[in-house]
Amino acid sequence: MTIVLSGLALGAVYALVAIGYNIVFISSSTFNFAQAQLMMVGTFVAYTGLVTWDLPVIVVALLAAAVVAVIAGIEDLTAVWPVKDRHTQLVTTLGVATLLGGACQLIWGNQPLSVPFLSYNDPVDFLGGRTYPVELALIAAAVLLVAVLTWLSKRTMLGQALIGISEDTEAATLRGISVRKLALGAFVFSGALAGVLGLLVGPKTFAVATLGTALAIKGFVALAIGGFGSLPGCLIGGFVVGLAESLTALHWGAQYSSLMVFAVLLVLLLARPTGLFGRTAERVV
Amino acid sequence: MKIGSITKSVVLVGAASVVLAGCAGSNDAGGGGGGDDTYDVMVTAGLSAQGVLAANAQTSVLAAKAGAKVINEQGGIGGKQVELTVVDDGGDPTTAVTKLREAINSGDKPDLFLDSGPSTIAMAVLPVLKQNKILSFNISPAEGTDDPSKFPLNFDLAPGPDANNKGIAQFAKQQGYNDIGILHSNSGSGEAYGTAAKEQITAAGMNVVGIETFDTASLDMTPQLLSLKNAGAKVLVLDAYGAPLGHVLDNMQRLGWDVPIIGETTVSATNLIAKTPPDGVLGTPKVDNLVTQVFQSTVYDPDNEAVNEMVETMAGLGEITTTLILADNYDPFFLVAAAAEKTGNTDPEDLAKALTTDDVLDSAETAFLPRYNFTEDSHAANPDADAFQYVAPTKLVNGQFGNPEA
Repeated sequence: MTIVLSGLALGAVYALVAIGYNIVFISSSTFNFAQAQLMMVGTFVAYTGLVTWDLPVIVVALLAAAVVAVIAGIEDLTAVWPVKDRHTQLVTTLGVATLLGGACQLIWGNQPLSVPFLSYNDPVDFLGGRTYPVELALIAAAVLLVAVLTWLSKRTMLGQALIGISEDTEAATLRGISVRKLALGAFVFSGALAGVLGLLVGPKTFAVATLGTALAIKGFVALAIGGFGSLPGCLIGGFVVGLAESLTALHWGAQYSSLMVFAVLLVLLLARPTGLFGRTAERVV
Repeated sequence: MKIGSITKSVVLVGAASVVLAGCAGSNDAGGGGGGDDTYDVMVTAGLSAQGVLAANAQTSVLAAKAGAKVINEQGGIGGKQVELTVVDDGGDPTTAVTKLREAINSGDKPDLFLDSGPSTIAMAVLPVLKQNKILSFNISPAEGTDDPSKFPLNFDLAPGPDANNKGIAQFAKQQGYNDIGILHSNSGSGEAYGTAAKEQITAAGMNVVGIETFDTASLDMTPQLLSLKNAGAKVLVLDAYGAPLGHVLDNMQRLGWDVPIIGETTVSATNLIAKTPPDGVLGTPKVDNLVTQVFQSTVYDPDNEAVNEMVETMAGLGEITTTLILADNYDPFFLVAAAAEKTGNTDPEDLAKALTTDDVLDSAETAFLPRYNFTEDSHAANPDADAFQYVAPTKLVNGQFGNPEA
């Protein structure tokens, strides 16, 4: 059970990155390559707030949300919106990712920094396994976030508007929805979310300038397994990646972990090209 | 935008990012220093790289600057003052080769080349150095870098995996350990450490119950540790560097696995173990069972004059931010000076030959390692057993463990 919990916690981290990818994708069909780096910035702000400045957790959460939301907003205004072509946006958002990695290294240095979790993070027994409180919090946060965001997308006008944009931007515009404002809002929201989540991810991963790169690819695989546009898919995809990685390492050795993750992805995409929860869009040709 | 095309694009951009990352990070100008009246030394380092690599590169460059300063005060090399050129290779082999070629093509090729790792840099620049007959010292031993038949003018400064693990096996045997598990990274040097650890521990008559690897980007090593625990390991020999070391220590605690840990030099090169919480893990139960392999020069000793001169000179030139385990580049100046003293010239082939003789190795006033023991058949650093020490982590003072002022 210890391995299952560790795999689920790892998967929750990937799922949280995938959720960020998805929020932006649903609102603007943009794949934000810098999403994992935004979360990385969140871990560094969490470190500064909690350790360097010794601020209360709630203040640090607000600070991290504000800082990363502003960065995400600037990214949208400078690297996404002026670039109309979606393929080119992948390159510009990758550029932002590289810049954020370099900036973090300049500001916070090269050594891994420990981000404390609520001043308590000794291992605990849970369901017959051993885990850390922060890992349980990560799993709970991923599940809760998916539940809340799914509910919001189905039950609120804002959520309906975002889904409308993802289905047909032109039709949504004709219905009076401000596509541009909502896309910017989604970018800022995903940034704020990444900032807050930095407080949970940091204690698991350390705040380190290479974190974004480590999370970006696995977060993308989680998204591809779950299906673009599906929030529950992000969660399941993340857990599949985390469990595949952990169980493979235990039984066959870590050298096969990444291989297994990509094998699962390939097999799944061959069977369901849109991912587990993705939908195929029909069009007249 | 179709999902399929996004997937393809992301894969393409991912591949491009690897290439771009490889190309990034060059800025400092290359080129040699002065002319025939100076002894031109070029040192490349990943100063703009990410992660602990950059911090270690800074220490490596600081050591080279200190070595150049001290040797110049002693009269230089072969009567010539040393002129040091520092080049930022960003930790990228392509950049390192480009900068080296620029220096060679400028018509003022360096007399001596020092790299600051990783081993991919050494493997990339060594053929160029060989082609241009440039004497070189390398801090990241890899397959063949110490072989004079392949690279006759190159010498490895850091002891290779075999030498390190011979020391570890000797220490483990003295402690009465047996049933040893090995955990190492999947990097080139990590794999070499793992193989050497298994060979040396087995050769010393102890039992290796399992050997596991981890990806350097991995965030959790619980499965590997559980495998070793289930295999019956009573001691862990560990190669881990940077954040992965933190994950290993966290995961050991999660499993409640309370066995002695012998850290390779990679462990002592990570500052996490030398800082108290919240910045690090020093003083926590996570490091209660940890000892790490270090060089004699990485441990404070008020009576070691050569080491203290190295440390004071380095500290006078800049802040030492990592352990002195990365200060290899201090010593080449003294090795070459002793060789030049013997040969009476600075011809690279003559110097290389002299560097394998006992009188040069005895007279070289090195500090990082007391004696290198290069031979005609092997240009590997092969220090005597007393060059290594095994210490519990303490706070660092000027890159050294065990300073009472810590």
